[in-house]
Amino acid sequence: MEESMVSFKGTVNGLTIILREQDNIDSILEQIEKKVSSAGRFFKGVSLDVKYRGKKLSKEDEEKIFNLLSNKSGAVIKSLSEDTEAIAQAQDSAPTPAPSKIKMRNYFFKGINEGLTKFYKGTVRSGQLINFDGNLVVIGDVNPGAELIASGNVIVMGSLRGIVHAGADGNTEAVVVALNLQPTQLRIANVITRSPDEKEVRNNFIPELAYIKGDTVYIDRYLPLR
Amino acid sequence: MGEVLVVTSGKGGVGKTTTTANIGTGLALAGKKVVLIDTDIGLRNLDVVMGLENRIVYDLVDVVEGSCRVKQALIKDKRYEGLFLLPAAQTRDKTAVKPEQMLKLCEELKDEFDLVLIDCPAGIEQGFKNAIAGANRAIVVTTPEVSAVRDADRIIGLLEANDLRNPKLLINRVRVDMVKRGDMMTIDDIIDILAIDLIGVVPDDEKIVVSTNKGEPAVTDSKSIAGQAYRNITKRILGEDVPILDLEADEGFLVKIKKMFGMKTT
Repeated sequence: MEESMVSFKGTVNGLTIILREQDNIDSILEQIEKKVSSAGRFFKGVSLDVKYRGKKLSKEDEEKIFNLLSNKSGAVIKSLSEDTEAIAQAQDSAPTPAPSKIKMRNYFFKGINEGLTKFYKGTVRSGQLINFDGNLVVIGDVNPGAELIASGNVIVMGSLRGIVHAGADGNTEAVVVALNLQPTQLRIANVITRSPDEKEVRNNFIPELAYIKGDTVYIDRYLPLR
Repeated sequence: MGEVLVVTSGKGGVGKTTTTANIGTGLALAGKKVVLIDTDIGLRNLDVVMGLENRIVYDLVDVVEGSCRVKQALIKDKRYEGLFLLPAAQTRDKTAVKPEQMLKLCEELKDEFDLVLIDCPAGIEQGFKNAIAGANRAIVVTTPEVSAVRDADRIIGLLEANDLRNPKLLINRVRVDMVKRGDMMTIDDIIDILAIDLIGVVPDDEKIVVSTNKGEPAVTDSKSIAGQAYRNITKRILGEDVPILDLEADEGFLVKIKKMFGMKTT
């Protein structure tokens, strides 16, 4: 498969080039050139920190890629280096099994203002789990023992009494909104809060919005008092 | 080296979970280090009865699948030192765990805790097999109803077939007034059929409903008769010799208690 020999990934800091161990430098250069020229004016005028991973490169090879990118892409390449962070992370997490439920990625779901959304109509009952890589809207109630996991926002048009996890792959901008927000447990990205132990039974619907700032979950009404 | 005690019944709704929560709390009150394991995957209740539902992040399935460490999944009780809960998963089913995995987990927990208490699901299928896999002692819960006693008998047979000798019998929800009128099986009737040692009799008590809904085991409530019965059972588990309340005397005891709190003696 020639296609996957070299792949580009955009990151917060710039660009990561993912290489394969078995390929030689000439074919890598060729592939990069193809990719860059097919991207056309995409890179024009931007400045990039470029990292690569997947293969160890010598200084000369690094330089070749650097020159190629600088000349062909039209971008200002600020630096080119091996992506040591990912390697360090991989080594760190190797001995202890990574916690399965809260996976933080560098490339988390970003469609929070506008993005892929699932609509679920009906009551989500105990033991049911809705997991979606995007935003999630439930038109109905979410009962205790039910679980909603979404990589984007979670909106519940009803009472939210179960467990909810918004921004499940690491987006701290994600919010949880419900007409009656009383979750057993509320998680946004890697922050977890639980309901108070004293049960307050509230049945008058006050729409509320939960979000995080730092390590704290804030819950606000988003409608003016009427 | 601790012991692994499974609470089982066969029939549903006889009070396995309530019993597990109360005995567990009672043992913790007595200063023991106890862990409660809920093996009712998909229909978990023990966390609710203990009032710890909102603390669950990892569960039994995460532990056996190796996606977290046992320590991470153990929930510390909010009231008592030395009491821990390993909750079941709610969004999975019984087949998510295998008996061999339970055995391994029990062996691991035995080293750390004085007592590992397992809350068994109703039925005799996979969930039951998981629950008894690591156990070396058993309590069979029944109520004074023919159906519950029949199922208890079946369970005792299965326990013995799985080398769990000498299971102990706990008779739950006994109504003294009905027994007196001859409308309910007596304790002797039940023992006649099941022929195993009795570890305790728990009278029917409205307070159990209240404490279950509040998430606070009745054993901590000094005013609850059922709580008193569970305290006695706890002592018996620890090897103390507490006399089992005779039904007739039990009646007298009940009347006394009721008088003490100014209730009508029916």
